[in-house]
Amino acid sequence: MRPIVSVRSLSKRYYVGRPRNNSPTLRDAVIEAINSPFANLRNHRNGVVPLWALKDVSFDVAPGEVVGIIGRNGAGKSTLLKILARIVKPTAGEVDIYGRVGSLLGVGTGFHPDLTGRENIFLNGTILGMKAPEIKRKFDEIVAFAEVGQFLDTAVKHYSSGMYLRLAFAIAAHLEPEVLLLDEVLAVGDKPFQEKCLEKMKSVSRDGRTVFFVSHNLKHIEELCRRVFFINGGVLYEECDANATITKYLKDISPQEERAASAP
Amino acid sequence: MAKVDRVATNLPDLASRSSAQGNNLSAAILPAQPLIKIRVRKSWSSIELREIWDHRELLYYLVWRDIKVRYKQTILGASWIILQPLLMTLVFAVFLGEIAQVPSQGVPYVLFLFSGLLPWTFFLNAVSGSSYSLVINAPLITRVYFPRSLVPLAATLVRLSDFIVASAVLVILMVYYHQFFNWTIVIAPFLIVQLTLLAVGLGMWFSALNAKYRDISTALPVLLQLWMFTSPVVYPASLVPERWKLVYELNPLVGIIDGFRSSLLGLEFNWRSLFISVVVSLVLIVHSTYAFKRLDEEFADVV
Repeated sequence: MRPIVSVRSLSKRYYVGRPRNNSPTLRDAVIEAINSPFANLRNHRNGVVPLWALKDVSFDVAPGEVVGIIGRNGAGKSTLLKILARIVKPTAGEVDIYGRVGSLLGVGTGFHPDLTGRENIFLNGTILGMKAPEIKRKFDEIVAFAEVGQFLDTAVKHYSSGMYLRLAFAIAAHLEPEVLLLDEVLAVGDKPFQEKCLEKMKSVSRDGRTVFFVSHNLKHIEELCRRVFFINGGVLYEECDANATITKYLKDISPQEERAASAP
Repeated sequence: MAKVDRVATNLPDLASRSSAQGNNLSAAILPAQPLIKIRVRKSWSSIELREIWDHRELLYYLVWRDIKVRYKQTILGASWIILQPLLMTLVFAVFLGEIAQVPSQGVPYVLFLFSGLLPWTFFLNAVSGSSYSLVINAPLITRVYFPRSLVPLAATLVRLSDFIVASAVLVILMVYYHQFFNWTIVIAPFLIVQLTLLAVGLGMWFSALNAKYRDISTALPVLLQLWMFTSPVVYPASLVPERWKLVYELNPLVGIIDGFRSSLLGLEFNWRSLFISVVVSLVLIVHSTYAFKRLDEEFADVV
């Protein structure tokens, strides 16, 4: 089967311990500005430690697959999503995606506190990649899902944090790209709303959409995903099936983190 | 509850079906070429004009947001668009026009001044506004993909809308001082296009630098202040000694502001400074978009 997402030897290197203000003075900035079209920007990175957030990651994902990504904090999960979302550039490797990509890497991205709920639906929807007619068509559905009906014309800075998150998730949940990237989104809201989100996520994956889903909640991962990637120190592991990968992950993490990870 | 159960029991079934469907789907629906190719280095192709066009709706909403939000929690609201250049005109008219008696090429000093302050205020606000834009929009840049050049572009377009509104004041002043409208006024829009492109270019460059080196936000106000006094905003270009003229005209704003004023007030054009300004603007715009592109790849990492 032809993959919808094809990742080949993807690597991402960050430099850690680089003092943020070691030399960027005005003089450097001016020199930099003059040189920038010609000079290599990486030449003053001596003496800092490279950190490989991703190391030679390759995989193919078929259309309609829901892929869970697990791993410790800082393992490289979010870096992978950010590269797929084209937010950060890889250091090496290639990715081909045969479809539109929608990403939800933070809830309420681009919400403006001074704008009303109604205005933010249009702003945020556009930022997430929806077209105006699409937003208009789904507007009532979004409002109903978020349960913010009577506050539509109130500035969102006056919303409770729950309302804010509900509205943000509702907009994102009505995205219709072929490939959807989700980072820890189900962590929002109270229990009933989380259930509702999980339901919505299931229906999204049933529509044949391809989903990448980063979470620490193994219960959600098990419920939603047929494939699971385990990322450890930038290296991607996938066992023969989802459960085996989860077991490997559980074996790998230290006992105290295991309790924290709400194992089933 | 019943609904949840049904969904749960249906899951494996649906899964197998969707993968069977997936087989057909992939052959039928997947495009032959990838829609998105992620490579380590994109081949450089000026600014991605096509992508900007594809994201024009987002550009519209970014401009709309900034206009909408800017005067929230202000008493005078949008009237600031007109008040800002008017108050500056008042200050300069009193101190330079009345007290220092700066010459004004035979037109009333207020008119002379306002026709220079109008494009200058636009340029000043556009460049300083866009230079902060990437930093201010960092939450957006680190979470969603879109052509990054939209951010400084939107910041400039917001100021262009101010410029258009404030132009009404210039028209009122021209009527008040019985200034005839000359045919040369048709040149003005071209100069505004040039000024806008220059502001977008420099705004992109400064915003990219500012994302990396925050010194820019400190240095820029000084630079812009200096820039204003090396441009014919509050005094005529004719005051500059002849032997410094050529150096002076290397400042692209000399040609633009002087030309804008001449086209509106029917004064004599300095074609040499106009020509120099077009050339210098082009060089700056190309350099800036290229510098922006180079830094673009790092924004999400450094902003």
